[in-house]
Formats: sequence, structure tokens, C-alpha cells
Amino acid sequence: MGMIALGAAIAVLTGAGAGVGIGIATAKATESIARQPEAKGDIRTALLLGCALAEATAIYGFVIALLIIGKM
Amino acid sequence: MDNMMEELQSKTAFTIPILGGIPVADSCVVTWIIMGAIVLLSIIFTHRLKRVPTGKQCLLEGLIGWLDNFFTDILGPKGKKYLPFLETLIIYIAFANLIGLFGFVPPTKDINVTAALAGIAIIFVQAAFIIEKGPVKWLKSFLNPINILDLITRPLSLCMRLFGNVLGAFVVMELVKGLIPIGVPVIASAYFDIFDGLLQAYVFVFLTSLYMAEALEEEEH
Repeated sequence: MGMIALGAAIAVLTGAGAGVGIGIATAKATESIARQPEAKGDIRTALLLGCALAEATAIYGFVIALLIIGKM
Repeated sequence: MDNMMEELQSKTAFTIPILGGIPVADSCVVTWIIMGAIVLLSIIFTHRLKRVPTGKQCLLEGLIGWLDNFFTDILGPKGKKYLPFLETLIIYIAFANLIGLFGFVPPTKDINVTAALAGIAIIFVQAAFIIEKGPVKWLKSFLNPINILDLITRPLSLCMRLFGNVLGAFVVMELVKGLIPIGVPVIASAYFDIFDGLLQAYVFVFLTSLYMAEALEEEEH
């Protein structure tokens, strides 16, 4: 029981990777907007897509954690 | 906690009493409601179309024009005949994700629905490949083992991404509602239901159209 909860907690650690990934993407996006303000729209679309894709890893971890808890 | 785990299960709405009972899931009934709503909206919006658009027709033309441009940009002129499918997909998923606002359970919270959507999308992409390039080239494309792997990983990631996002939003919203029932859920709902729902619909269809574009593109020799 306790070990299962621990396993779920470890699965949710994937969120750290997504956080770092989105952070880097946002940093680069702000940098490029500052350099080329006229390309703002394109950059925003690419950033949103990149964030959604990076977020997916965190979501996978979350789904796995839920599956583990569901087995309890 | 137990209450919450129960909420996460997809429930059966009713059972058709033939052939020993066919269970009809909640997500299926909500899908019927969405279908009804979309058909009704289509009738209302396409009623009395004029050559010079006014009012609601402007809104409709703006939306469909935006979708058309968006997909044509990705697929190129060859992909014109595949636009209606992709647009149907984005409209359905957007409705499915937003219906939580009206107190229904979003059908995309059921993993069977997202698995079906991902399956349809991948089969459609493969079918487009066969139509454009012929079955021989399609079989030849599997000489590259990465393509076989893609057949499994792409639908899996499409399915899990949509399902996980909707489920995650649902769980967080339930927790927020349990913690502070007044005020805060409205703000959280704006992000989790509206923004995230629309974003996930966009991402799902964007990825599908990227796969399509890959299937449609001409190889260079």
C-alpha cells in the first residue's frame, strides 16, 4: 500500500522534465520576440504547440500514477 | 478519495435490453448530445445564406476560412480534399472538451473515446497515403522499421495526450471545488476547461495534419 503510493509519487516526478522543457521554450520565445517583434504571431503559435507537446510527458506520468493508484 | 476514484470511472448510462443487454456508456450519450447540438448549430448558421455575408454568416465564414487556411498551409494544395475530415475532428473535440462547462462529463475523459479518435486519425492518414501513392509504395514504406513503430506510437501518444489532459483538468477542478467552492473554480475553469480544452483540440488535429502532410509529400529522387 505504502510502496504503491511511493511508486505513484515517483511517476509524477516526470512533471519536473516538462517544467524545465517549457521553461527553456518560453525563454527562447521571449528572446526571439525581443529580437524580432514582427514575428510575434508565428512565435506564439510555435510556443503553444511546443508547450503542449512538452506538457504531454508530464501528463503521461500523471496517467501512469493514476493507473498505479487505481490498482490499489 | 474513494469518491474521486469513483468519479474517474466511466459509467454506463443505460443498457439496451437485446442480445443479453448492450451497455451504452455515458460518453456515448454525451456524444449524441454533442452531435445534436452541432447539427442544430449547422442548420441555424447555414439557414438563408447570402452572397454578401452579414451577421452570423460572417462569423461562420470567418471560422471556416481560418480553419481552411490553417490546414491548407500545412497540407499544401494537394490536401484540399482531406480538409472536411480534419475540420470535423477539431470541431468535435473542441465541443467535447468544452461541454464540461454545461455540467456534462466530457466524453474525452473516457479513454475509449480518445483511443477511437486516435485510431480514426491514424487510419485516415494511412488511407490518404494509399490513395495518393498506391498500395505498393505503402507496403514499401514499411521496409523502414521506424514506420512500423510510428504506427503504434503515434496513435498511442495522440490518445494518451488528449485523455490525460482532460482527465488531469477534471481531477484538478474537482480538487479545487472541494477546497474552495466559491469564486476560485471560475478562474480555474477558464484555464482548465476553456483554454486547455481548445488547445488540446488544436494540438490533436495539428499533429494529425502533420502526419498527413508527411504522407502526402512527394519524395525526391
